[in-house]
Amino acid sequence: MKDPLDNAPLFVFLDPKGRRWPRLRRLLVLLGVLVFLAVVLFLQALFVNPQLRLPASVRRMKGQLKAIEQQEARKESAAEKATDESWRKFYPMTATGQERIAKLREILHPKPQKFSEIRLGFYTNWDPNAFESLEKHADQLTHVCPDWMTLTDGLGTLKVDGDPRVQRLAAAKGLVLMPLLTNEVDDAWSPEAVEGLAMGSDDQKNAFIVNLLAQLQAMKAGGVVIDWEEIDPQRQKDITDLLIKMADALHAVDKELWVEIQMSDEFNVLDLERLAEHADHYIAMLDDETSETDPPGPIASQDWFEGWLHTLAGYGEPDLWIGTIGVYGYDWSSGRKTAKMITFGDAMSRASYAELPRVDSQAPMYNPIYSYQDPQHDHTVCFLDAVTFLNELRAIRAADLGGIAIGRLGQEDPQIWDVLGFKDTDNVTPEELAELDHMKSSDMVTNVDEGEAITVDDTQEDGRRTVKLEKNGRYTVEYSPDFPRYPTIFHYGSGGEHQVALTFDDGPDPKWTPMVLDILKKYNIKATFFLVGSQAEQYPNLVRRIVAEGHLIGNHTYTHANLAAIPGKQVELELNATQRLIESITGRSVTLFRPPYNADSSPSHADELEPLEKVHDMGYEIIMENIDPEDWARPGTDVIVDRVKELRRDGSLILLHDAGGNREQTVAALPQIIDWLQTRGDTIVPLSTLLHIPYNELMPPVDSDPVTLLVAGSGFMIWHWTVEFCWAFMIAATALIVLRTILVAVLAARHYRRERKLSEDAPYTPPLSVIIAAYNEEKVIAATLRAVTDTDYPGEFEVVVIDDGSQDQTVREVEKAALTDKRIRLVRQANGGKSEALRTGVAHSVFDTLVFLDADTHFDRRTFGELVKPLRDPKVGAVSGHAKVGNLRTFIARCQSLEYICGFNLDRRAYAQWNCITVVPGAVSAIRRSALEEAGGFCLDTLAEDTDLTLCLHKADYRVEYSSGAIAWTEAPESARALTRQRFRWAFGTLQCLWKHRDMVFNPQFGALGWFSLPSVWFFQIILVALTPVVDGLLIISLILGGWSAMWFYVLIFLVMDLILAVLACGLDGDKLYKSWIILPMRIIYRPLLSWVIWKALYRASKGAWVTWHKTERTASMPVRAA
Amino acid sequence: MKRALALTACALAFAACSRQPAAPPPPRGPEKLLVPEKGAYTGAFIDFGDTEDDVTVEGIEAFEKMVGKHQAIVASSSYWGEQCFPTANLLCIWRHGSIPLVYWSPWDRPYDEDQGPDKFSLVNIAAGKWDAYIDHWGDAAAAFGHPFMVSFANEMNGQWFPWSGMFYGQDKVIPGTKPPKYVAPEIFKAAYRRVVDRVRARGATNVVWVFHAMNYSMPQAMGGAYPAAMEWNKMGQYYPGPKYVDWLGMSVYGQQYVEDNWSPFEPLLDWPYTEITTMEPNKPVMLAEWGIGEFPQFGSKSGFITEAFNVMKRYPKLKAAVFWNERWQNEPSYDDNGIYHDGGYSDLRVNSTPASLAAYRKGVGEPFWLGFPLIGH
Repeated sequence: MKDPLDNAPLFVFLDPKGRRWPRLRRLLVLLGVLVFLAVVLFLQALFVNPQLRLPASVRRMKGQLKAIEQQEARKESAAEKATDESWRKFYPMTATGQERIAKLREILHPKPQKFSEIRLGFYTNWDPNAFESLEKHADQLTHVCPDWMTLTDGLGTLKVDGDPRVQRLAAAKGLVLMPLLTNEVDDAWSPEAVEGLAMGSDDQKNAFIVNLLAQLQAMKAGGVVIDWEEIDPQRQKDITDLLIKMADALHAVDKELWVEIQMSDEFNVLDLERLAEHADHYIAMLDDETSETDPPGPIASQDWFEGWLHTLAGYGEPDLWIGTIGVYGYDWSSGRKTAKMITFGDAMSRASYAELPRVDSQAPMYNPIYSYQDPQHDHTVCFLDAVTFLNELRAIRAADLGGIAIGRLGQEDPQIWDVLGFKDTDNVTPEELAELDHMKSSDMVTNVDEGEAITVDDTQEDGRRTVKLEKNGRYTVEYSPDFPRYPTIFHYGSGGEHQVALTFDDGPDPKWTPMVLDILKKYNIKATFFLVGSQAEQYPNLVRRIVAEGHLIGNHTYTHANLAAIPGKQVELELNATQRLIESITGRSVTLFRPPYNADSSPSHADELEPLEKVHDMGYEIIMENIDPEDWARPGTDVIVDRVKELRRDGSLILLHDAGGNREQTVAALPQIIDWLQTRGDTIVPLSTLLHIPYNELMPPVDSDPVTLLVAGSGFMIWHWTVEFCWAFMIAATALIVLRTILVAVLAARHYRRERKLSEDAPYTPPLSVIIAAYNEEKVIAATLRAVTDTDYPGEFEVVVIDDGSQDQTVREVEKAALTDKRIRLVRQANGGKSEALRTGVAHSVFDTLVFLDADTHFDRRTFGELVKPLRDPKVGAVSGHAKVGNLRTFIARCQSLEYICGFNLDRRAYAQWNCITVVPGAVSAIRRSALEEAGGFCLDTLAEDTDLTLCLHKADYRVEYSSGAIAWTEAPESARALTRQRFRWAFGTLQCLWKHRDMVFNPQFGALGWFSLPSVWFFQIILVALTPVVDGLLIISLILGGWSAMWFYVLIFLVMDLILAVLACGLDGDKLYKSWIILPMRIIYRPLLSWVIWKALYRASKGAWVTWHKTERTASMPVRAA
Repeated sequence: MKRALALTACALAFAACSRQPAAPPPPRGPEKLLVPEKGAYTGAFIDFGDTEDDVTVEGIEAFEKMVGKHQAIVASSSYWGEQCFPTANLLCIWRHGSIPLVYWSPWDRPYDEDQGPDKFSLVNIAAGKWDAYIDHWGDAAAAFGHPFMVSFANEMNGQWFPWSGMFYGQDKVIPGTKPPKYVAPEIFKAAYRRVVDRVRARGATNVVWVFHAMNYSMPQAMGGAYPAAMEWNKMGQYYPGPKYVDWLGMSVYGQQYVEDNWSPFEPLLDWPYTEITTMEPNKPVMLAEWGIGEFPQFGSKSGFITEAFNVMKRYPKLKAAVFWNERWQNEPSYDDNGIYHDGGYSDLRVNSTPASLAAYRKGVGEPFWLGFPLIGH
């Protein structure tokens, strides 16, 4: 045996001295360490929070509230209002009225609670606390009155705004639903809506009533509560008649009509006497002593409350009346024309954070009042609590009214529910009273001050107060100084009455952001852009432009993440990555932050505050919004503009979007919005003006150390270009695949037609030498030989089997076969590899036409004839047969079957058409002896001797043909392991051949081979397969970052191309088309495997080690060919 | 990059067809309010609050939506007691696309009617005591820069405002004048001219001056010639002359209070129109205020409105009509039992009933009524 190292060319990639790998390894290790260090530095830049140095002096911590001097003076001026005994105007002078009042004189000896006491809760849709309160305390209520219906015009048009949740809850808890019907349109009373209907035709009234009944029926209501205000007493008769008509109609379907009666000059605007015969209840609005447009005063002072109770006694039976007990508060600010309605919790938080020494309620008001100040304004707060509730409840029960109404759910001191649970409000036990002293905190969120910049404090602490019974039977309360603490949001930056700010979320976007910037520039308006990091990373120039044009930038997380849904560490990462990115692009830090997905409402629950507190602790100013026209949903330009107009009444911070979809409507609406705001007299100011913080402090020049910045900047840049490259690669690959698919399909079809013409030629039957190299083939060799000899081939042939030093019974099997068929000869050699064996075979054969097949390959009867047919042409040096997978037992085998079908029916046909076949497979091929010799015979320096030989034949200027009729059934590996080994051998061999024959690529001498098929192998079988996992990985990451919409297109093209080829191949093969579906799972399962094999081959190649002839483990699983 | 190819193509396509903002028109001479040759301007005062100056674009838009027509004129007040120029209101109205009409009323807080002259009396104005304020107002008017209408001291021939002739000697004659000149209207004219002169001197040539009287003088006899005893209170007595006036204005109201009498529209306008156009034949006439309360027991408001729109068209010099859209509460009362009763309302709003609104919409919807001011240069 010769040593292959001596005479043969060196085995391709072999590095006998073993120097290449250590050198390469050192290089790789060095590179690895560098990359690792860079990644560590980058991550450090991301994970270590930047020090945002917004000066403490400008940061608004905890609202900065202070107690105010002269508490007493303010209280007195408020109390003065309480001496206005408005009820006296309506004090009944009739005998019965007087009599009833006399009874009420004993008001402080209330009767025990009536079993049938009505307890109605007023409810509003927009307050999440209201639903929570209703849900929690439904058992203590009998009726609920949600503000669902509005009479909008004099024609009886009803606007209904129900909430199925409340309907369900009411039904489940047995609450009677009594929706409110008001004439309040867009925050203003519209008396004409009522008067017009009342004075209108009977037809109109009837239609209105029918509609009302239908609405009530639909919401399963028990009736309706009427709240009609500012109506004209001149229309008393008409309106009273209308109400009577409504009451009668309601009664006919077993529903009720209740009417709210204002405890004011409007008291007797309706004919109370006549209406009493028809209405089921009057609700006395006993929580409105001071309205929001009045100067500070009590909401329901006890004198006023009791005075009105006396007065009511003159109007109908006592149980006709239901008394409203207020549970809210007002905060009058020197900066506002009207008071702001607040909850009990808000009142506690304000007192607590202003560190008031004490807050109390005193005779004769019995309403707690206090004053405080924030940095801009003085405030006076009056509120109602469980103690005022107790006082009022006792008075109502004493007056023997029909029940109470709570105004309104969600605003109350939670302990009013304890008061309702007291056994006997006439004799409150010391234990019950002590219960009121201890105030439990809860997770309901309270708000302090106004504005859309917020800081939060989620502390919860119980508080204490002292409740005392005075001699006159009224209770007083003293809070000092342990106010309960609820999770609190401190607001600031509400700005002046005519100041408004514009903000844009989710950008930058290459199309829409420039349009928005152009508009802003035209109007010379400075806005704030809350950028999403992943967008900013793609369009750094837009970020620079935003800053250059004087706008503010805020952080909107890196991936538009929902803070409530991600862990705290990720919150930091989201913010830091965006921060670092903006720093590296603009050289400025950002201190503004807006949480994504906060559009619906401001937080109402403690758990929503936690991430915000974290963000605040990181040094950010959190900016919400209160004018959200939901432009992202593309409701139409006009709708966007109209919504802004409507919301501007109560809001000053506009949220629009300059990215995240088609923003055509936003861009169209923006100039209209700006024009309208300016017409309105508003100044559109930058956020810095609203916050009273200078631009340079909201976006300070970066003071992080330059190295961190450089690392972060380069990191983002490398990431950026990597992603860019991946996309470019993806697009280029897709384009090439499409081109190749078309080309292959066209060429294959042409070849198909050409071959059919050829088959009409006369048969060509030269004598053949059939050569089979065998190594440990005992299981299959006998069947292979049977198939070879059982042929229709009319010509002469010999079969030479070369045993390559098998350790099993291969020799015996062959000898057995040789006994029965003289055409079979056995040649034995010491183990030397497949090429060596083939050489031996060629040397021992006699004929000029050589046919090669693998030891596991079964020929058909027609195979010889078809295979040699093209050799009639002397220019043809070799012919490739058509290999098919014979064993279809496993999925892996079926996959390979399809792969073979595609490879042989398409690629090889196409290549044959242009004479650029790259491999005549050893499994089934015919080669002219002279050509073989001219090409240099089988070389020993690669594992893929067939590819090598084919390329050599091309170099010797022979044609290489393909014969699709020359079918050979081969046995495919059935396990992934076996397949991997086979494919590794192929891959390594292919790599060797490509390397060995690299001079042929793009060499004009070789035509299509150099320009088409060899580059195809390089690109599609080596580079693409090797890179796909890298590309896949990056694509998955960008998928997570929201790139799916961009990617599916390419994925689809890949799959469609695959499918087209597979269907075509099956069609050409005459196979069943449906088999081609398997190409889709193949993509997913095959690709990683092939990549692995390629990388392993590359690794081995660079290592320069020997690769032995791993061969497929034979199972003899191929069914014996049908005869 | 990800969407690079497709997006760039889209962006180019869109950019090509998206509308470019119109270039600003080339500068021309000062803007002027033109008198329409055909038709007349429609306008309104729209519930602007107690001091009649709480102008909001929301209020204007809501009204326009309600009546279905843009307003060529939007009226509001500037009370002297506020001591300021209503720049914000004027800008709002102008930017909205309407001509502001300002009732510039020399009275002081608390702005109660029937009280007689206060520190802003015509005597004081004529004597130059408020020149500084007038000059300041004139400066601000000039700075505003766009045309707007000013009705100074309107309804002077009535008897409720402190600048009424009622309060300045009534029929007192200036000794030695023949034909007799009355003290009251002469003071009015002096004050009026002083105001106009000073404002013009500040460069506010953009002000369109409206001489704005009641259709029928009060006190006087209704529906005809003035009795000799009331000659002093005749509209023409107060007219400061064509140099001081650009438009002639009148207030024309139907029934406003429940205790008043009902009248159809035509007699309210017909005789006064003749009177005012006789007094000054060369100026356009506007109804600087017109309105009607809702009193179904006396007459149909919708009928009145329909009639008004029809009648107004017949008077060729009538070039504008400003509807007074307001609802106010009147004095309360006590019944025999001493029980309080809320005062009724005077509802002059256009939508006091659906029928009234429908009548207004129909009337003003005719093309005769111009919703946008014509501006020349």
